[in-house]
Amino acid sequence: MAVSDLSMSVIKGTIHGLIGPNGAGKSTVFNLIPGVLPLTQGEIRFKGERISGLRPSEVCRRGIARTFQATTLFREYTVFQNVLVAAHRLAAPGLGSALVWSRTYRGREQAARERARTLLAALNLAAVADEVAGSLPHRDQKALVLAMALATGAELVILDEPMAGLAAQEKDATTEALRGLRREGLTILLVEHDMRAVMGVCDTITVLDHGVRIAEGTPREIQENPAVIEAYLGVEDPGA
Amino acid sequence: MPSAAARPAVGFALLALAGLALPLFTRDAYHLDVATTMAMNLSLTMGLRLQMSTGQINMAHISFMGIGAYTSALLVTRVGLSFWATLWIAAGVAAACAVLIGSLALRVSGPYYFLISFAFSEVVRLFFNNFFEDLFGGPSGLVGIPKPTPLPGLGLAVEGKLELYYLMLVLFLLAAVVFIRLEYSRFGLVASTIRQADLLAETLGVNVFRHKLATFVLGSLVAGLAGAFFVHSHQVLHSSDFGLEPMVLLVVFTVIGGTGSVWGPVVGTILLGVAVEFLRQLGHYETLVLGGVLMLTMLFAPEGLIALPGKVARRVRHRRTRKAATAVGVGLAP
Repeated sequence: MAVSDLSMSVIKGTIHGLIGPNGAGKSTVFNLIPGVLPLTQGEIRFKGERISGLRPSEVCRRGIARTFQATTLFREYTVFQNVLVAAHRLAAPGLGSALVWSRTYRGREQAARERARTLLAALNLAAVADEVAGSLPHRDQKALVLAMALATGAELVILDEPMAGLAAQEKDATTEALRGLRREGLTILLVEHDMRAVMGVCDTITVLDHGVRIAEGTPREIQENPAVIEAYLGVEDPGA
Repeated sequence: MPSAAARPAVGFALLALAGLALPLFTRDAYHLDVATTMAMNLSLTMGLRLQMSTGQINMAHISFMGIGAYTSALLVTRVGLSFWATLWIAAGVAAACAVLIGSLALRVSGPYYFLISFAFSEVVRLFFNNFFEDLFGGPSGLVGIPKPTPLPGLGLAVEGKLELYYLMLVLFLLAAVVFIRLEYSRFGLVASTIRQADLLAETLGVNVFRHKLATFVLGSLVAGLAGAFFVHSHQVLHSSDFGLEPMVLLVVFTVIGGTGSVWGPVVGTILLGVAVEFLRQLGHYETLVLGGVLMLTMLFAPEGLIALPGKVARRVRHRRTRKAATAVGVGLAP
């Protein structure tokens, strides 16, 4: 079992870190929350409502968006189209509305376009809006992934290693962006290997090891927790 | 050059004008036959392409045409319903079958879906060929199916080649309006994301299964409509009309035209439809030549013929930029 007996709460308007050594089960938790993987036991609740067992699209409609570890994008589409697709929740989906082209459909589509433009401007992607997403540099792809998660209108955003592959300055900019999102009331669940970034930006942190929660607390509490130190550094062999 | 927003309407208007104007240039029975078949194939390939845009390679597309054809033939000959009613009932029955089959088959994707759809097409063909011989005609098929009755209200007879051509053209244009409208809507935008990264699309709120099912049912509905027309214009029906060979031809038309755009199958079906008529003189070599064209297209224009002008223009622009850079001495020092 990849994850067992895990109990974790994420408080609204905070940044909650989920850390642990390789193979600890972080990615499994990230796949369980949005319904990418099915739960075999237990339940996941969001705003008091049970969301385990729902399709990922239904989980997204309830206000949870996730990004993927690798920069997964619609590589053949432009940057603008990527964000426009992500604003699907705001638009009027379905065959009927697309065929009838009603006033409601056009209005909601216009709102989705405006939201996409606003987000691209906020994340400094406006200049590359018409570029094909697959041709963007890594830094811009990371920003685009974040823009897409935000375009869903989610209240909880699950970010899988947003700093991976970024230079020090770019990491600082991303950290600042996350703080800005928190100020706007967004709740963030973050998996990240860069401990400096995690300790600097998270309000609370849950530590996993071998699929089990070994600690939870503020960054300071986590840094001083012997179980966490042991999980990351291992126990010194007295006979060595 | 029309604006991006006006392009779909201009494209459709050109298509409709060309179709309506064709009889002004020729009323030769052979030419009208070819044009009628082309309009029917266009309805099928545009539906197939809509399904392919979501990543489905549906080898059973032609089976839904068969379901529509047998439904209409039986309702007219056995129940005595009017062709104008069975035309829509046939489309509805094909769509209902698509809901059932799609609900099961679309739970898998890629090669598994391909194989399931292929197996289903063979099951349908063998069912019409081997079961209920009294009803479906068995290996001999059905003969003596009547031509469409005169149009109710107007009393317009639809018996000659020209009238049949216009009827198929109207049906095709109706289908084309729907396919083009969807292509330039959020529905079309989202369809292609499923082929590119289905899991990402799902986590962004797109119900991938429902979206795929909608394209599957819509394509099948139009195929059923085409089937009803086919059976009353040909007046004979055989299970092999909906077998592997015509299905492969539809895939070839669609893929060579290009699956990345709603206009791809239009280009592929018209160009290859004409080419097939010329290649007919080559007998068995026709398949060989078509296979060669498919291989060359996949090697040099994998996005299909529709993407070729854009690709050439990009290459010319790139070459010009490089030349200009060389002229002003931009480049790496030796």
